[in-house]
Amino acid sequence: MKNQLGELRAGKTWSQGDLAEKLGVSRQTINAIETEKYDPSLPLAFKIARLFKQPIEKIFVPAD
Amino acid sequence: MLYTRGVNTPNTLESLEPCSKQYSLKADLKLNTWLAVATVVALVSQYLLRLNPFWSSPLRAAVALAPVAPGLLYVRSWFRFVRGLDELQRRIQQEAMLFAAVGTVVIGAVINVLDTNGIAVPGLRHGLELGGTFYAMGGLWLVGTAIANCRYK
Repeated sequence: MKNQLGELRAGKTWSQGDLAEKLGVSRQTINAIETEKYDPSLPLAFKIARLFKQPIEKIFVPAD
Repeated sequence: MLYTRGVNTPNTLESLEPCSKQYSLKADLKLNTWLAVATVVALVSQYLLRLNPFWSSPLRAAVALAPVAPGLLYVRSWFRFVRGLDELQRRIQQEAMLFAAVGTVVIGAVINVLDTNGIAVPGLRHGLELGGTFYAMGGLWLVGTAIANCRYK
């Protein structure tokens, strides 16, 4: 799954740690999502979408 | 309220490492109190059994099994801790535990095959035994955690 999380976070000038704290996850999780090594659960994807006020499908795009 | 600071703080393994900056005595006590209780109960029950060799079998069994109850509560506190982990950490722990369980079965099977074919494994006369199983699982859990952490770094 490809995602725009890194770009969205950079747009808000938040560090990975800041975003992790806002979402209630570890910094490692944010890093793993941004580097596309880990796909978040649906509840976490919704939290991310709500935080950035974007639809999920704009942030997360299937790889194929 | 979803994103309020501190509300959604997940459990971390670092909170259990005494040398870590994130060490939390509260988290440590929450997890390990029942282990301490089980240890004390086990020591007391062994002392009582040695002191009273003529107790009836049911009474001896009850005293010998007394540490099982706090032991199960310790397992419950581990389950709660793992459930409170961040979702990636939970996946890492699941992978590490699966690695430890499967690895221990494989090691046990290998030792058993060697044993039945008359090839002695130094230090292991009766398979892995209980102590060996714990050591193998603990060691493999550490290795599994390291491997899974590398995968998601």
